[in-house]
Amino acid sequence: MTQFITAVLTSLSSGAIYALMALALVLVWRSTRVVNFAQAGQAVLTTYIGYEVIQRTGSYWIALVAAIISGAIIGAFIDRFFMRPIFKRVTSGPIVLIAPVVATLGLLGIIEAVIGIVWGLNNQSIEPPVSNAGLNVNGTVIAFSLFNAFVLGTVALAMILLTLLFQKTNIGLALRASAYSPEISKLSGIKVDMVRTLGWAISGAAGGLAGMLYVPSTYLFPNAMDILLVFGFIAAVIGGLESMVGAVAGAMVLGFAINFVTTYISTTLVFPTAFVVLILVLLIRPSGLFAGKKGRSA
Amino acid sequence: MLKHRKKEDKKDHKKKSHSSIDSPRKRLFLFILGGWLLLLLSNQVDEFSLYQGAFVATYAVGIASIILLTGYSGQLSLGHGALMAVGAYAGALTINNLKWHPVVALIMATLIAGLFGLLLGAAVARFSGPYLAGTTLALAISLPSLANQFPILGGQQGLIFDVGATPARFGDEFSPYKWFFWIAALAALIIIWFVANIAASRFGRTFRAMRDNPIAAQLCGVNVARQKVTAFAISSGVAGLSGGLLVMLITGVSPSAFPLSLSLLLLSGAVVTGLYNLKGVILGGLVLVVIPEIAESLLTRIGGSENLAISLPGFLVSALLILAVMFTPNGPEHIFKRKH
Repeated sequence: MTQFITAVLTSLSSGAIYALMALALVLVWRSTRVVNFAQAGQAVLTTYIGYEVIQRTGSYWIALVAAIISGAIIGAFIDRFFMRPIFKRVTSGPIVLIAPVVATLGLLGIIEAVIGIVWGLNNQSIEPPVSNAGLNVNGTVIAFSLFNAFVLGTVALAMILLTLLFQKTNIGLALRASAYSPEISKLSGIKVDMVRTLGWAISGAAGGLAGMLYVPSTYLFPNAMDILLVFGFIAAVIGGLESMVGAVAGAMVLGFAINFVTTYISTTLVFPTAFVVLILVLLIRPSGLFAGKKGRSA
Repeated sequence: MLKHRKKEDKKDHKKKSHSSIDSPRKRLFLFILGGWLLLLLSNQVDEFSLYQGAFVATYAVGIASIILLTGYSGQLSLGHGALMAVGAYAGALTINNLKWHPVVALIMATLIAGLFGLLLGAAVARFSGPYLAGTTLALAISLPSLANQFPILGGQQGLIFDVGATPARFGDEFSPYKWFFWIAALAALIIIWFVANIAASRFGRTFRAMRDNPIAAQLCGVNVARQKVTAFAISSGVAGLSGGLLVMLITGVSPSAFPLSLSLLLLSGAVVTGLYNLKGVILGGLVLVVIPEIAESLLTRIGGSENLAISLPGFLVSALLILAVMFTPNGPEHIFKRKH
């Protein structure tokens, strides 16, 4: 029974981190129709920034804020000075569909190489702000720590803030409108380009938060976020790529599947489980659980 | 006037039919000529260059498989490393357990990877754009780690892939590197010729039609779903051969030989040298082999740290990839064509 409850709790906390990454990818996909593979690079870069801040000030909290803000800045910067020129340049031929994706892959390579040059390939670690040791329940130590609880709470808070932003503010309305129909939004006076850059900024901030929540339970190295990116992407695809609710749901499906398989069957089956879950979901619903209507995706 | 036009039509027709007979022959002739030149070359250069030449051939085969799938049929795959792993393990099992000739093992690698691609393609090829990319990405990270589950695949240690001694009839002087080079170059020539023929055939035309406008292709009677699976299966087979060649060169196959970065490296090579043209494959293979060399010679000149030494090749490949996407998105030869 304890094993079961532990599995549920760890599923929730790892699902929460996948959800942040999935959200970061969905936000960009909705507005730009690009799967942003550079997100792993952005997130690891902000986490290195957070790591430097911790080295200087010793405070995790300042580092967390610094990572989120720098994530937003980097995201906006990439959209404005990297993606926009590519969209302007590449307008003809069959490459149009995949050029932006390939460009983000290249950007990922560049960011990770630069990090490798600046900080080296050694594993660094970030001390968690609260204890990372398993909680003691009735004398048995379970695999769920105070830090996992902190992760869960922070992600829940971030989700609530994002939902409020998207549903209750004018900015959120502009974000939704320009993702839904850029032309009509432009006609009604929304500066679609600026709104898109804002979407990239929010996505970058979510990635920055994900990095600072993910790394304390493992190590920091240039490729640290690659696996998180893959899981986030799988979660986003399961959720249908369009919907933010779908991203969270997909992440939870993935988190539960992975943690239950590793708890009850074998710890080496992490990646195959992810693949099987993805294939099963897509075979039943080829465009994900929460995909919008066909007419929407053009 | 009418007569004149008719004459022209006839002339045009004649020209066309003539070229359509001529072109495959010309292609075959070119490939045989290329093979002969390589054979001459292999006697002139030193062993290290031969070894690297074998890598160029291997990467060229991998890039050809990506060009066939992504360039011609428009399906973005991020998981060709996994398909290469299938071919590599199939080849290693053939050599180790059945004790067959290495060339047969390479053929088995191609066939089994193709069969795997057929089964996988039947499940995933109907996914569109990002869904296919996501599935193949998941495949790239999950399939190599599966090898740890089955003792017959040798776990983390992997399997040995030993092509054995060089045939005695070539004499004592004949080095194993030259043998590698001959096998890899011949395999590359045959398979790239095969892919070029497919691209020029009815299949290639259907693939391109389906890439550019799937709905129009369907209206013209193309069974899009089936053609997508076909493209996926052929591309998997070619990738499997590339995997078999790769592990022949590194003399062993293990899960760590097929990281995600291998899949992305091949995609980079394909994009840099033109995703829509098979002519670039050798160049692509060359780029992938030469870049680490350039990085090394740069480092000895400027004297960088160890961090720089490890990260520089990745940086150069990525930078080249971005420059290629920005400035020559439809292949390098378009630089010269853009003028008119």
